[in-house]
Amino acid sequence: MLYCDTYLQPATLREALELLRVAPEGSRVVAGATDLLPWARDGRGGDVQVPHLIDITRVDGFSGWRLEGERVRLNAGTVYQEFLEDPDLVRLLPNMPQCAAWFADDQIRRQATLIGNIVNASPAGDGLPPMLTLNATIEVARLDGDRVQTRSVPVEAFVTGPGRTLLQPGEIATAVTCDAVEGYGGSFQKVGLRRSLVISAVCCAALVKTDAKGRLVEDARLALGGVGPRPIRLRDIEEMLRGKELTRDLIAKVSLLPARHVASRSRVEYRRAVVQGFVGSAIEDALAALCVCGTHSTAKEAVDA
Amino acid sequence: MPDTLTHPTVTAVTLDLTINGRRQRVQADPGARLLDVLRDGLMLTGAKEGCGAGECGTCSVFVDGKLIKSCLMPAAKAQGAEVETVEGLARTGDLTAVQKAFHKTGASQCGYCIPGMVMAATATLRDNPDADIEEIKERMGGNICRCTGYSKIFEAVEIARDVIAGRLPHTALDPEAVGNSFIGHNTRRLDAPSKVTGRLRYAGDMVMPGMLHMQVLRSPHAHAKIVSIDTTEAEAYPGVHCVLTCDDVPGEDGFGVFVEDQPVMARDKVRHVGEAVAAVAADSVRTAREAMALIRVEYDELPGLFDPEDALKSGAPVIHDYAADNVVKHIPVRKGDIAAGFSAADVILEESFSTQQVEHAYLEPEAGLAYVDHDGVVTVVSPSQNITHHRHMLSHIIAKPINKVRFIMSPVGGGFGGKEDMIYQGMLALAAMKTRRPVKLVFTREESFVASAKRHPSRTRCRMGLTKAGRITAVEFEMLSDGGAYGMSSEGVMRKAAILSCGPYEIENLKVDTKVVYTNNTPSGAFRTFGGMQAQFATESMMDMAAERLGMDPFEIRRVNMMRAGSLTHTQQKLASAAIDRVLDAAEGASGWEKGAPSVRGESRGDLDGPGTRRPCTLGARVRETATDRFRP
Repeated sequence: MLYCDTYLQPATLREALELLRVAPEGSRVVAGATDLLPWARDGRGGDVQVPHLIDITRVDGFSGWRLEGERVRLNAGTVYQEFLEDPDLVRLLPNMPQCAAWFADDQIRRQATLIGNIVNASPAGDGLPPMLTLNATIEVARLDGDRVQTRSVPVEAFVTGPGRTLLQPGEIATAVTCDAVEGYGGSFQKVGLRRSLVISAVCCAALVKTDAKGRLVEDARLALGGVGPRPIRLRDIEEMLRGKELTRDLIAKVSLLPARHVASRSRVEYRRAVVQGFVGSAIEDALAALCVCGTHSTAKEAVDA
Repeated sequence: MPDTLTHPTVTAVTLDLTINGRRQRVQADPGARLLDVLRDGLMLTGAKEGCGAGECGTCSVFVDGKLIKSCLMPAAKAQGAEVETVEGLARTGDLTAVQKAFHKTGASQCGYCIPGMVMAATATLRDNPDADIEEIKERMGGNICRCTGYSKIFEAVEIARDVIAGRLPHTALDPEAVGNSFIGHNTRRLDAPSKVTGRLRYAGDMVMPGMLHMQVLRSPHAHAKIVSIDTTEAEAYPGVHCVLTCDDVPGEDGFGVFVEDQPVMARDKVRHVGEAVAAVAADSVRTAREAMALIRVEYDELPGLFDPEDALKSGAPVIHDYAADNVVKHIPVRKGDIAAGFSAADVILEESFSTQQVEHAYLEPEAGLAYVDHDGVVTVVSPSQNITHHRHMLSHIIAKPINKVRFIMSPVGGGFGGKEDMIYQGMLALAAMKTRRPVKLVFTREESFVASAKRHPSRTRCRMGLTKAGRITAVEFEMLSDGGAYGMSSEGVMRKAAILSCGPYEIENLKVDTKVVYTNNTPSGAFRTFGGMQAQFATESMMDMAAERLGMDPFEIRRVNMMRAGSLTHTQQKLASAAIDRVLDAAEGASGWEKGAPSVRGESRGDLDGPGTRRPCTLGARVRETATDRFRP
């Protein structure tokens, strides 16, 4: 059971940071709070005493997102369902809709925030691989005396291990900024015990951009989750694909590479087999997503040939 | 205000909510969940707690128009919100189209998932009135049902969708005519309206004035001697009304379906992780849990048995004194002469099979409410699947004549055999007798997993002799099952496994032995098919392997051996009729099976991917649609 003495809903970031500064030890900042109550149960946290819960979802400026040049700024209140339902986000972040479709379920996605998923830093966190492909950075705020200071860290560096991040005591994550990649094909692969509400055994995100004729790969980005203590970006494969014409042989060749990254504590052989299939599928599905628009039909055909 | 919500040491928060269109002000513990406020504070028990961890969807409600899982939402988070529960859907009494459709198709069985399912279906059609079946499935993916297999639920949502859209007339929601016979017709369930509206009260939904809350201290050890139990501090904890141990049992302690080998609470030793050791009844669940943490139990760990083979070895630890060999039951069946049968065989196949432990995972965790009525009758309300037997057992446990013991069967939110064992009703009765107050206990999902019986894990060795024509000449069948720490339904499960062992085939010579032993694993008990599944898995696999070995069609080899009118069963009962021939014909037709030996697998088979074949599971119905819409010229 969860025991809490005070539930706080600050209206501004400054207020939230001030509340956090004076909060007794063991207090927590929550956004969607969807990971909090499952934690406070037998077999995990058990009966837990959280003196103060600081709910940041009503903080002014934490809802919504905006385009800042070539980057999308997703405020801390952005929930997973938005990646599935907001047509502009679907266009700008083309691997996030699939990621969202596989994340928990429709009900939890309406509460669960992207930023909470990043800060929780689960090795199987579904949002992490696509964020890596989108070159995401996370913005965190703290109080320096009376001034609100922010700093930004790439998500790839921010997550340091299972449940571990560079977030310091007194800091609150305020936004995630990532590349706007309209025109890329995006995909997300996930395997677990069932479709909805399942923790990934392995997940893989991809973004692919081809030239106008759909022949040559201009840019490819791949990342894996669930295969070790933290998500990983597959830069070696990306290099091998860039500037190349995609063929079945090339995809088969690069698919063999990431097995060595599998550093999980369990089901290593299974994960290696899955990773190999996922890298190929992720590239092909990303191409297929490009083909939907009709202008890049040749890329998928080339692969299928 | 019920006493579950506000703990004396914390300051309650005042929540202003609009609930089903009415403004309500409620006090709640700052750590309370929205589900607690709805159920305990506002008595809106249509939202259920199936798991408490966001996995099952029995607690789904709308908050500001968005469907959410109320077990995951701190109540304070909903401050100022508009909340709509299942009770709000049919406020005027007339069921909504979704509710009527659930009633029509028989989508509600045990009903425990149904309020959440109705809410998820409602949300789906509110969000997209034209959702196709794939999108419906995807949008409802957060809600679990264990009875229906979902078909009837999805059928209902599609009918409701079409009625709402005007593609089907409202009469599509009316019951079908049954004519002169109910057989062969869809008849509507009488209890469906109470389930689709959330009105039906399960044991965990019931409250009584002055009701106390029970929590159970469970063993962390698989096998250990209990040296001492010190309840002094727990007894003295403010708000505690009683602490129970086995010393509180006034009569003859012991229950079980066949052998009464299980004490109400562990006596002298614990035999599995999760076994009840002590119980506390207090003003609130929280007080009971805090007091429970003050009970000191000193254990002396004993070597444990975790593998049924080990249980049979000489010198193995003995789990129950009465069964020095650890055998709960051995069922032998003999027919004909197996030596002669095997010598007449052209081929002999031998194979081993194993099946695993399975949890029933009914959506309703165990719950009960006990009280002593004005006539001194000890009354237990619970979703027991065996109340008459429970009543008799409780009578000797509490040393009262049978007319002073009453069991009331509350609606069973899924049982599947898992609620046949009296694993908590005894504690509730004792607490009610000791405190003279009504006492309620609701298991958490985790508690249900560790304390309730499971499907027997089994190991089967099967030896089968056949002629070249596929006729079985002899079978030797040995099954060893893990009964876990207590007997429960094990004996019956072994009988059924033995009786059904060799399947619906007429076998002249057979030797069948099914045996179940004690271990320190979670007890095994009744579970749908009651041992039949484990046996059939072995026998039907043998039939397929025999067909492959003999180059026969698997339907054909079954027809060669099937029981007919006049056949003698394995236990030598003469059958007046048999239906397996028609079952095989129907299965063969429906499956589109490509005739021949089952030696060709994979893509070259002609019977794969035919009409009616289920597509692989995937997600993304909306993603694909969005992409298509976006680029549509």
